[in-house]
Amino acid sequence: MFEGIASGLATALTPLNLLMVFVGCFAGTFIGMLPGLGPISAIALMIPITYGFDPASALILMAGVYYGAIFGGSTSSILINAPGVAGTVATSFDGYPLAQKGQAGKALAIAAYSSFSGGTIAAVFLLVAAPALARVALSFQSSDYFALMVLGLTAVSAFASRGEVAKALLMTVVGLMLSTVGTDLSAGVQRFTFGRIDLIDGISFLLLAMATFALSEALMNVLKRDDVGEKAQAATRGGMGSLKLSSKEVGEIVPTIGRSSVLGFIIGVLPGAGATIASFLAYGMERAVSSEKRQKEFGKGSLRGLAAPETANNAACTGSFVPLLTLGIPGSGTTAVMLGALLSYGVQPGPRLYTEQPAVFWSVIVSMYLGNIILLILNLPLIPYIARLLSVPKPFLIPMILFFSLIGVYLVSFNTFDIQLMVVFAVAAIVLRLFGFPMAPMILGFILGKPMEDNLRRALTISDGSFSFLWERPLTLVIMVATVLVLATPLIRGILRPRVSAAGEGG
Amino acid sequence: MRRDTLGPLLVLVFCFGYGAFALQIGMFPGQENEAFTPRTLPLGLTALGILFSLILIVQSLRADDGPTVGEMVRGLDWGRTAALVVLMALYGLLISPLGFLLATILFLIAGFFVLGERRPMVLLLAAIPLVVAFWALMTRILGIYLEPGRLPELFGV
Repeated sequence: MFEGIASGLATALTPLNLLMVFVGCFAGTFIGMLPGLGPISAIALMIPITYGFDPASALILMAGVYYGAIFGGSTSSILINAPGVAGTVATSFDGYPLAQKGQAGKALAIAAYSSFSGGTIAAVFLLVAAPALARVALSFQSSDYFALMVLGLTAVSAFASRGEVAKALLMTVVGLMLSTVGTDLSAGVQRFTFGRIDLIDGISFLLLAMATFALSEALMNVLKRDDVGEKAQAATRGGMGSLKLSSKEVGEIVPTIGRSSVLGFIIGVLPGAGATIASFLAYGMERAVSSEKRQKEFGKGSLRGLAAPETANNAACTGSFVPLLTLGIPGSGTTAVMLGALLSYGVQPGPRLYTEQPAVFWSVIVSMYLGNIILLILNLPLIPYIARLLSVPKPFLIPMILFFSLIGVYLVSFNTFDIQLMVVFAVAAIVLRLFGFPMAPMILGFILGKPMEDNLRRALTISDGSFSFLWERPLTLVIMVATVLVLATPLIRGILRPRVSAAGEGG
Repeated sequence: MRRDTLGPLLVLVFCFGYGAFALQIGMFPGQENEAFTPRTLPLGLTALGILFSLILIVQSLRADDGPTVGEMVRGLDWGRTAALVVLMALYGLLISPLGFLLATILFLIAGFFVLGERRPMVLLLAAIPLVVAFWALMTRILGIYLEPGRLPELFGV
């Protein structure tokens, strides 16, 4: 393991790769700050730019973008009460009140220190958990993989907010449907291509991700008449206040960071749960364990209330890499896009990655950690300036986002049909968003569609067409039982919720 | 009609369309007797899609609350959004004949204009340097080919 870490460090610490982390953090922070544009869009926007790079450098840039985007999301939550992503909603509960009190600098510093600590502690857990799981995963068969993918897909939906479970499940199915477009790999038959050569290879993952996230989010911004620039100008006009924390304040948040890191990592490893659930759970847990006096500060600018979701959010992001790297199964929309990026560099995540390409495996982990460090020492002092970039007026910002999204996909295929297809998907995504359908389950379904079909085909062929493989192999059975339990969670929540609400649930 | 009824209804129509095309997926002779064919997953997904759409429709009809479609579309900036969508489609059509540089400059200027910028100098200064810098980065530094366009051919160059 130590050899692996050393080789990962040697790769990541070259001057070029350090520059990549810095550029990634900076670009990610800026994109992540734009309300609506989160890590998924930030990573998707960066994929075409990194095609010409060496895989390790590209991955290092991605790690920087990922952490930068999460931190950027926290920044917009704190400064303008407009979370870039769902994972930073809980950050705004206490971050925004702090900024309103003229302590935006302090709030941003706490967010950065908490994110750094959460990421660091989780990276240590990852160092231990990922190789262990990778070794176990080597014994997995097609039926286990199929069951795991079903678990991942249902978990994303089951953890959706109340009343949204069926919508998330439906979007997962739509994503799976889109993944069937193109040539069927086993029989060589064309499916849903309507005779078009452009569709023979299927729909590009990047095209779908850009259209349904970057393009549709930018267009939704216009449709809903949101003006990010004005809010950002207002937030930065009066200055940020000091970035320094007193030793008493540090002492106050240290236990919170410890608790939330462990919770965040565990939640992150679970397929489908991810950063949003982790941040809300950590916020709730922190409030529950606080004294009555401190509880009253929550929602009004509590330092613990800010540190808890920020720590858990980052720890969960690191945790979500465990299933991705060891099983090749993304547990969230963001890791699904990361999987797409990894595949485009010719890196196939899964249990064999650890044994066959240890340098890549470890450089991903090490670069994630480097991203955290760069974010802390370079990005934090730059935040006031990056926030000013946000005040670029909407008439200029939106067409540029549209241009970079379109050209990003075009530069990969050099096919103008892809631009037209993107427009169609972007319009469809806007309509679906207006109807309240979530996009992340769709992208997850799309990316898992092909491997899921492949594993189902193999499992069914081995079992002679019988679905008995679902219960004959103990491991498959355990995973399927877990799937059923996960699917039952919303039902149980639905039964329990009215009582909890009656008891006065808040936040 | 409620928003939560019409949305799943539209997806239901999509699922029926998908299912209809799934039935037309070609198969080799004898393949229909195999355990898994190219139609298996699409047909399974059709069934699941119809099931979840119907659950959502029934849920919304039973609840009978939430915003109506009229409330959903009211107050939104449809004009500008539609103009940007048309611009993107036109950009896709014009990038080959006009070339990357000209098509992108026109796309950005039109985009800035649609979103409210009217000063001609600002429009030009915001679009041209950005596009030229991007073009130089791609073609001169990264060595990526970008469409030169067919305009020079038309003028006999």
